[in-house]
Amino acid sequence: MASKQSTVASFVEAAPPGELSNVVADIKALAPSEVQSLEPAFKKYNEEQYTTVKLPGSSETVLVSAYNSLGNGRYFDSASQTSFEVDHASQKASSPQQHPTDSQHADLIRSLQKSFSAAASEHFPSSTVGIFPAESHSAVALLLVANKYSPQNFWNGRWRSTYILNPSSNSLTGTIKVDVHYYEDGNVRMSTSKKVELSSGGGSAEAVVREIAKAENKFQEELNRAFTTLAEGSFKGLRRQLPVTRQRVEWEKIGGYRLGQDIGGGRTK
Amino acid sequence: MPTTSNSTELVGFALLYLIYFCGGDADLWTTLIILDDLLEILEEVDSMADPFDAALDLLRRLPPSSTQQNLTGIISLRPDLEEDLLSSVDVALTARRCPTSGRDYLCCDYNRDGNSYRSPWSNAFEPPIEPEDAAELVPGGRVRRMEESLNAGVDVYRELYYEGGVSSAYLWALDEGFAGVVLFKKTASGAGKGGWDSIHVLEVNEAATKRSAHYKLTSTVILDLGLSSSSIDNLDLAGNLTRQTQSDLSLGGFREAEVEQGHVVNIGRMVEDMETRMRNLLQEVYFGKAKDVVGDLRSIQPLSEAERDKAAHREVISKMGR
Repeated sequence: MASKQSTVASFVEAAPPGELSNVVADIKALAPSEVQSLEPAFKKYNEEQYTTVKLPGSSETVLVSAYNSLGNGRYFDSASQTSFEVDHASQKASSPQQHPTDSQHADLIRSLQKSFSAAASEHFPSSTVGIFPAESHSAVALLLVANKYSPQNFWNGRWRSTYILNPSSNSLTGTIKVDVHYYEDGNVRMSTSKKVELSSGGGSAEAVVREIAKAENKFQEELNRAFTTLAEGSFKGLRRQLPVTRQRVEWEKIGGYRLGQDIGGGRTK
Repeated sequence: MPTTSNSTELVGFALLYLIYFCGGDADLWTTLIILDDLLEILEEVDSMADPFDAALDLLRRLPPSSTQQNLTGIISLRPDLEEDLLSSVDVALTARRCPTSGRDYLCCDYNRDGNSYRSPWSNAFEPPIEPEDAAELVPGGRVRRMEESLNAGVDVYRELYYEGGVSSAYLWALDEGFAGVVLFKKTASGAGKGGWDSIHVLEVNEAATKRSAHYKLTSTVILDLGLSSSSIDNLDLAGNLTRQTQSDLSLGGFREAEVEQGHVVNIGRMVEDMETRMRNLLQEVYFGKAKDVVGDLRSIQPLSEAERDKAAHREVISKMGR
């Protein structure tokens, strides 16, 4: 039997895009004494979901992840060379400090920051990207998160991309994750993920982001095809829109009949 | 709102307190301090959400594929909500084999007593329950006759629409009519996983004349679809939608058998209409809405190109208008 603490933590970690505060309010109403134990779950949620925070004293948003964590609740942003503290419960940033990029790949990070931002705005109406040293500075991580919340229409969505570029081996691998929640008189959740292995196209920042855009287009086209496959396949096989006879059931005639007899309607006399 | 009555009680309590302890001697300052404390208490009471509503809201937000697990988790936090939650949260149905008829039937909270379930085919609980409990829980007379006839009808309907799967209907008597539940379950085989569970809960109020009745139907469909391929590592589309409808329908015939048959026909038609409506809705939400939201997050066509196309389109329109 799971402890109360791990139960409420699992609720936080499973919160849909844009609905963390609603989930926390529900936990407060159900188990007020457990709320104080949620700090590690908030941190895990924010780092996994690439939660965006507004940089103090700036209009820029930056994302929070394990890749830009400095420990002790502090994170850094490569673009503005700033570090900041994050309150995981309120998702607010504070105490900014200068934080020069300390990496053998500083130049690459700078040019990827420029190209990846530009490429992202070509496909995402709204997104936040982050480029950080990864794998003890042997590689570079390219992260992207795009959120679209429409609670007044009962839906929210999130797209997350994670790529690891290894400049010495020229390898480029990544994961794309998309989550959609629709909850008008119901609860429907779509979640999908795809691991990709790409060619880094020679390793220049422009080539890398071009390969990423190509792979993401391909994934989105495949996803659209998968919707059609499910609609035409599994969904149709579960319940027909109309019986084979193309007639609705004649309930008046159904009572005295048993299965196997022809009562399906559409009979001509 | 349950908090309103709490608030009223608190106001009354505080006034009594003022009169009792301060009598006529209370100065204005003391009164104000007490009133201020009182207002704070009231605000706190009002901001506390009802735990049952919070549980339902939480289940509407967390992944529907883990509803059963989350329900168990909420009950472990709040054992006092167990009965209410089990009777109002729909989870995927399970099927059991009836030992008497050898046929499968579906289990839900409405044919359950402890760990025993009643088969609609044999009308007996399995494992058997105490005779005095059975006398209360096993339907007889007209309710059982209608239940048998509804099960026969629903069985035919299931074969026509589902071409397989399992169905069950359960009825029980109410003071002015009866209530019931009609259940369907189908699991997809072949490429991609899929499961459909529909749960139709009815309440039927009969007019004194038995010439007509008022039917209230609450339907939930739980639809779980999944795909895993080389181009998409995995795609999960899971969830549930609930809709309600009410209707006054006539009952033809004067004889009791005709009235009973009238109910079965009315219920059958309402369930058929509702399922057809909900199937269209599910199709729209699962394959239309989900795809649209992904398209809102990311555009396959470069946005600058899309903007140029739009501008060109606007120019054509304005030229045509000249």
